[in-house]
Amino acid sequence: MDPVLDVSDLSVEFRTARGRIKALRNVSFSVQPGRIVGIVGESGSGKSTVLWSILDLLASNAIVTGGKISFEGRDMLTRSTKDMLALRGEDVSVVFQDPMTSQIPVLTYARQMRDILYRRDGLGKAQKRKMSVDMLDKVGIPDPEMRVDQYPHNFSGGMRQRAGIAMAMLTGPKLLLADEPTTALDVTMEAQIIHLLREMQRETEATVVVVSHNLGLIAELCDEVVVMYAGEVVEAGNVHDIFHHAQHPYTRALLECDPAQIKGKSHRLPVIPGDIPDLVQPPVGCIFAARCQRVMPLCLAQEPPLVEGEQGGYARCHLLAGPEQDSSWPPPPEVPTVARGAAATAGAKTISPEPLLEIANLNVKFNTMGPVWAKVRGVKQPWVTAVVDASIKVHAGETVGLVGESGSGKTTLARAALNLVGSQGGSVQFEGQGIRGMAESGFKRFRRDMVMMFQDPVGSLSPRKSVRALITEPMKIHGIRNVDPDREAERLADMVRLPKALLSRYPHELSGGQARRVGVARALALNPKLVIADEPTAGLDVSVQGEILNLMADLQAEHGLGYLIITHNLPVVRHISDRLAIMYLGRIVEEGPADEVFAAPLHPYTETLVCGVPQPDPDRRRTHMVVKGEVPSLLNRPQGCDFVSRCPHARPLCHKVVPPHVTAGNKRMHACHFPLGTVGTPE
Amino acid sequence: MIAYLTKRLGLSVAVVFLVVLILFSLLQLIPGDPATVALGPRATPEAIARYAEKMHLDAPVWQQFLIYAGNAATGDLGIDVFTERSVTTIILERIGFTLALIFVAMGWAMLLGIPLGCLAAVKPNTWVDRITGILSVGTIAVPSFLVSIWAILIFAVNLRWLPAIGAGEPGDTADQLTHLILPAFAVGLSWVGYLARMVRASMLEVMGETYIRSARAFGLTQRRIVFGYALRVAILPTITLIGMGFGGLISAAVFAEIIFARPGLGKLIFDSVMARNFPVVQGGVLVATTLYLGVVLFSDLLIAWIDPRVRDSL
Ligand SMILES: Nc1ncnc2c1ncn2[C@@H]1O[C@H](COP(=O)(O)OP(=O)(O)O)[C@@H](O)[C@H]1O
Ligand code: SF4
Ligand code: SF4
Ligand SMILES: [Mg+2]
Repeated sequence: MDPVLDVSDLSVEFRTARGRIKALRNVSFSVQPGRIVGIVGESGSGKSTVLWSILDLLASNAIVTGGKISFEGRDMLTRSTKDMLALRGEDVSVVFQDPMTSQIPVLTYARQMRDILYRRDGLGKAQKRKMSVDMLDKVGIPDPEMRVDQYPHNFSGGMRQRAGIAMAMLTGPKLLLADEPTTALDVTMEAQIIHLLREMQRETEATVVVVSHNLGLIAELCDEVVVMYAGEVVEAGNVHDIFHHAQHPYTRALLECDPAQIKGKSHRLPVIPGDIPDLVQPPVGCIFAARCQRVMPLCLAQEPPLVEGEQGGYARCHLLAGPEQDSSWPPPPEVPTVARGAAATAGAKTISPEPLLEIANLNVKFNTMGPVWAKVRGVKQPWVTAVVDASIKVHAGETVGLVGESGSGKTTLARAALNLVGSQGGSVQFEGQGIRGMAESGFKRFRRDMVMMFQDPVGSLSPRKSVRALITEPMKIHGIRNVDPDREAERLADMVRLPKALLSRYPHELSGGQARRVGVARALALNPKLVIADEPTAGLDVSVQGEILNLMADLQAEHGLGYLIITHNLPVVRHISDRLAIMYLGRIVEEGPADEVFAAPLHPYTETLVCGVPQPDPDRRRTHMVVKGEVPSLLNRPQGCDFVSRCPHARPLCHKVVPPHVTAGNKRMHACHFPLGTVGTPE
Repeated sequence: MIAYLTKRLGLSVAVVFLVVLILFSLLQLIPGDPATVALGPRATPEAIARYAEKMHLDAPVWQQFLIYAGNAATGDLGIDVFTERSVTTIILERIGFTLALIFVAMGWAMLLGIPLGCLAAVKPNTWVDRITGILSVGTIAVPSFLVSIWAILIFAVNLRWLPAIGAGEPGDTADQLTHLILPAFAVGLSWVGYLARMVRASMLEVMGETYIRSARAFGLTQRRIVFGYALRVAILPTITLIGMGFGGLISAAVFAEIIFARPGLGKLIFDSVMARNFPVVQGGVLVATTLYLGVVLFSDLLIAWIDPRVRDSL
């Protein structure tokens, strides 16, 4: 059969002040009709550039320096503008990465969708509206007749991505492109979107190209996989081959780095050391050589050969053919090929018996309107409760993971512990001393002992300050003058393994991993005892994520730090946490030793999160959706159990009575009337 | 929404009240008998007596103020000292000329400036963009009274294409329109530059947004993308700018009315200041302030109407 899409030898460069970035070099792959093809690779490997090339919508500084893209046998790169307009959104359509920013905020969905249908002259306004409503209905938007007249900001993140899919599918495209369609979403939403994309594809028999750095998503969704690294395709093949018999060292490394892949618990995560090479001057020989564990002299001198596999796949590596061919490569899947880095202190962790931080029954309320308005309107409770009776303990030397979907109150809980937002009721103790609601003057000395590490280091750092200034800033803030800032900067850089040459750089010149190191250095500048890290690895590639978490583990071992790690990424915290606390709608619904909670959840919500993670294994695709719906708004907290609106095990009692916190004998706490059986993982 | 409107209206009323208070206190602060101050040294004793009675000058100051404020609220702005006509009537006669000037000036500036800004943003670093840039800086830098004088010299005196002064024969629309051209040109010119720059800057930003790329990916035409999508968002800061700049527009109109001898509100205030006709000055300033507040309120409401995020947050 003729391929729907055929990309051959595509090369793209970007003109920049530093020189030409050779973002794509001789990229080739083709897509058969009705197939779902995934393009996977770390960020910066050129995945998006491939997608945008197909639509001829590259940034204005891009130049296509060679190659061909043909869609249904016709060349895409030489088409006229008019031709392209007829094709985009009609024959080829796109689902975008971040539905927050990719839908225009000032137009209703009805209008946006009508605009997409502008080429259908035969249809009246009413018919177009009907088509839009039907499509919204199909992608699972409740009440589409009313919703179609709303704006993007009226939709939640998951709903917005559904609407994004509806817009893309509206015209019945033959080719659907999706750029990181779930990256901005929570695990539960991600699972739903993957499910929806697969259903839509099955129904319309469209051909799909999906770009992602999420291996789980690729395994769940795709038939074929193209692995890209630094602008080149290093391996391609069908999804089973890629996930079970990866040929290229990079593919192997990527798979091994995925925390969801790692069976059992591992305190140290595998990493691919180093960064993507500078593409202004790509290295000669193998592009992956600088980070490859198997690198040989030949790799630095000569481009690796393209070696075809039995099933039509191929990979480029000297290990597979030629003078350096190694018949023992690739080793069986259970043999690790990437390093985990040596632990600074081997052996058991020492966890102090006395808690460092102890939060008990903490409540946080936010006012929804002023007291006067509340009176006028007769609202009895003009507030929402963002945190309800939360209790959590962190000991020195211990890592506690706080997990839940966005909006579950994790960050609010942390901020309340640090007196950054007011709290109502309950207690917070640090080393046995009550600190809740303490005046800032008295609390100041505690700020040195308990620090928050922020989610997005580059965004939260001042862009005009050098790294040196940034990592010593906490000392300035606390008025510490009896130290030499340059010496301190170097000490901290050493501590977080940041090359000293980077001290004079500015945040935007750092890679994602380096910026996180600066964040860690800032947090540790004052030798705190407790670090609260808010999504420390969100947005990082799996290969870099391991590095940051390993670094944090080392620092913990060296300094006996206590960690409270806030995240929605359960597979990651499972490995590094000693205890896990699961939060839903402001309540901690389950708490206990990490491996036990993960292996045998008691609370149905924990089960949902555990099963919600897409597995990087195409043989273990989920056939059903684990959980429906979304986190309800705090404004309408369900009667009885908070989780009742989504719980698959709900019974009548759950609708009436709020389940109390129960602590079982083995120190596991849960809040469910009907905790799940403690034998075996569900499913 | 209702709450927001009430709040904004309340705020505007408070500001107007404050202005009344200031205007009133200014009169009190001037040393000497308020009636003489108000009517000027040339007023006859009878006029002073009549004024004192009319203004309740024998009552305590705070009562005088309340009476003035109360009258103003019901539309009675007092009596012209010289002609003894109602100030409200006089202002109503004149305000039409000022409104016409302001709206025509702003209108042509918008019609030219906004598309120019769009064009410059859509084709950055081309000759269209460069020329727009130079024009903007040029027109912003030149004060409108200079433009007025030059316009009179060139088009009225030298070329004799257009009339120099006055507002045209009452009832003769064509004549009135020809008299409007030069002042409207002078007042609006710098706004062409302002608007072009402002729209260009915000358009450039919006055109780089992800949702514009989405619109392109859905195959929408360039025209729809620029005017139907990008401009809708990019115009928001411009509307705020116009609302806030309305004060400047009024003062530019005052200059233009003086230079072109247009019998508008600005000229009225100017003449009254010269003649020390304080009731008219008071009334004129009050009306101008109210007008300004009305426009600011209107621009905020317009933004809420265009931007649903703002609307929902009200
Ligand atoms: N407009 C641009 N100007 C300069 N460089 C760019 C531009 N867009 C992308 N790049 C560079 O091209 C390379 C590939 O980027 P991209 O396609 O976004 O990768 P991915 O989608 O895999 O993360 C990166 O090195 C990136 O920095
Ligand atoms: S060619 Fe060499 S450096 Fe490249 S992936 Fe293969 S073994 Fe590693
Ligand atoms: S209490 Fe009921 S509704 Fe809540 S989690 Fe347990 S079973 Fe589900
Ligand atoms: Mg990308």
